[in-house]
Amino acid sequence: MISIPAGVLANEKTANTVASNLSNLISQTGATINQTLTQIDCSLAPSFSGFGFTPPSGGTGTYRSGGYGGSGSGGSGFTPGQFGGGTIGGYFGGDAFSGGRANPMNETLYSDINSTLSGVAAVEPVLQASEGNNVTRNLDFNGYSRTITTLDVTYTIEGVPLTSDLVGNYPILPTNITAGSNLQAGDSGDVLLSENNSAYFGAGVGDSVSILGQSFTVVGIYSPSSVGDTQMLYMNLSDAQAITNNTGYITSLTVFAQNSGDVSSVASEISALHPELTVTTAQDRESALSTEESTYTTALANANASDSTTNSTAIEEIVVVVLATSLIVLFVMLYTVKERTKEIGTLKAIGFSNSTVMTQFMLEGILLSMIAGVVGIAIGMVAAPTIASTLLPSVGGGARLPTGAVVISGTTRFGGLAVATLTPELVLLGFGVAILLGTIGSLYPAWRAAKIRPAEAMRYE
Amino acid sequence: MSKTVLQSANPVPPPTGKPVLQLENLSKTYALGKHEVPALSNLNLTVNAGEFVAIMGPSGSGKTTLLNVIGCIDKPTKGKVLLDGIDATELPENQLYKIRRDKMGFIFQTFNLLPYLNARENVELPMEGRGKSKSEQKQRASELLAMVGLSGREEHRPQRLSAGEQQRVAIARALANNPAIILADEPTGNLDSQNKQGIIKLLANLNLTQGTTIIMVTHDSQVARNTERMLLLKDGKIAKEMQGLHANKKNQICPHCGSRIQIKDEICPSCKKTVYASDDLF
Repeated sequence: MISIPAGVLANEKTANTVASNLSNLISQTGATINQTLTQIDCSLAPSFSGFGFTPPSGGTGTYRSGGYGGSGSGGSGFTPGQFGGGTIGGYFGGDAFSGGRANPMNETLYSDINSTLSGVAAVEPVLQASEGNNVTRNLDFNGYSRTITTLDVTYTIEGVPLTSDLVGNYPILPTNITAGSNLQAGDSGDVLLSENNSAYFGAGVGDSVSILGQSFTVVGIYSPSSVGDTQMLYMNLSDAQAITNNTGYITSLTVFAQNSGDVSSVASEISALHPELTVTTAQDRESALSTEESTYTTALANANASDSTTNSTAIEEIVVVVLATSLIVLFVMLYTVKERTKEIGTLKAIGFSNSTVMTQFMLEGILLSMIAGVVGIAIGMVAAPTIASTLLPSVGGGARLPTGAVVISGTTRFGGLAVATLTPELVLLGFGVAILLGTIGSLYPAWRAAKIRPAEAMRYE
Repeated sequence: MSKTVLQSANPVPPPTGKPVLQLENLSKTYALGKHEVPALSNLNLTVNAGEFVAIMGPSGSGKTTLLNVIGCIDKPTKGKVLLDGIDATELPENQLYKIRRDKMGFIFQTFNLLPYLNARENVELPMEGRGKSKSEQKQRASELLAMVGLSGREEHRPQRLSAGEQQRVAIARALANNPAIILADEPTGNLDSQNKQGIIKLLANLNLTQGTTIIMVTHDSQVARNTERMLLLKDGKIAKEMQGLHANKKNQICPHCGSRIQIKDEICPSCKKTVYASDDLF
């Protein structure tokens, strides 16, 4: 009988996939930050509130109740479900990059930033509001289920001031227009849709769409960048304020410094002027990113470490099992040979050669192992998950892998629980090992049988 | 119990005395701790084809050792074992098994049938590896089982057969490859008198009709009397040699009145006495 801890291969796969996904995400985000070096985000929302499984603050509310928010914009590049939608997405997108914008700000209170601070080139007041529904999902992974509530965002309104200065000189609008044209300075009643928005509304260039009861004309469609919000539509700030009943209010300010060298001094001046604001510079975002990067690197290192612990434990278990199995076959076959000494003597007396006798006993041992292998695999199929979760150390135990960050093709760990599945390869491997052990365990007994001298065997009772 | 009737209509005449087995200065010593225990010492014996020989002797006289040496399952300490003129003591194991398979047929006191094979499969065993097809093996096994009076019992496993029937299966197995010599070690030792008689009759008839050479170890004088040639073994040597009743039958002379008889006769036509292997002998 043999059993092989089934979770081993799966764990390695999990860690590797998580690692490659994260490194992609980090490099993409880093590139975005470099493009916006002079940009300083200012908002009232506390940063880094949306860790882990909790949806980003305000994200669960609708725009009407005043809960505006980054709703996991960075994460939308991932298929929902793969990282749990609200997990890494919320972590990166909601807070670190978009800035957690929850509380409306009175626009006029902050006009002094542009007028009094010398290093400021331009200020872009932004109103962002998400429309969506709270959705409770029951995720099922190999029998382990978990309930996740997330805001299922249908679209996010990004109101930006369409002044000729900002439109002409600053990256306030998407650049990758795939149909129609971009918004122009002074446009009103017009909207720029993402490709996802276009599909959601079923509208193309020149069509009119109804947004919160107001009719807008689609001037163009853009393709979001890989880490951008795929559901964000752009319109004039005043239009956005009007349709969301937020006239005079914004959710964030984007301040552009004169040059990138001034960014930190401008940021501290803004903070001095308005201590209530959370000011985030590109450097801040970068350092936040690197903090996260190191967090994830540590988590991954821990995961890999526990993975290798799992591996070595598994190897120890396999070695023990293999030894035990070989010994069992050895002793069973030795006993069989002893039991059947007289029979072997008889066979030799009536003309069986040593090699025939040896082959006979080898085949018997192998057949025995094959039967045991089939029975063992049958038991394993039923008991593997229990055995794996009992015997194998939990991966990520102590490692701060995002809770619920899961799912690699069928075999995985969920919330520290080992989920083992028997793959056909594993079954074949088990069967092969069973036969191999049977062969090894039978060798000596069969040799003993072949060497029995018939005259002595006859005397054996 | 079934009566032994041999199918052969024209019995084979007793073969002329061509030596099939010659033992020359045969010695066998067992090492028992520091002591050397001689089992056979300087034994000489010639057995001709077609002879029915009984080896008798008290326990420890070397009967079984002698039989094992003849059967090539034990090696002598010195001396020669010539089988059809070939010295078996010179042959390596990978030749000896062929001699055991093709030239010898073993019959044991405890029958030694394989319990998980039926009667026919047990008889087929020695035919394995001799190039016979499965159906030929099957047919030969069935014929042999019929010859020993076990028609219809082919599919029975040993535990469903009586002791006498099991020994018949063992005899059929010994005959499978048409051996030059049948070696029987106390073949009646585990049988009641009725079965004992049946087995002896069967062996005697095989010897008469098929010309099978039989060397039988027994300590039962009644059984030995029914052979052709009785050898008394003592201290590893042949101490005495006598003629058995079977010789009379073979020589076609009535043991009671000395008149001529036919081989197939069970009762002497002259004196009306039972010629051979009758119940009163046991």
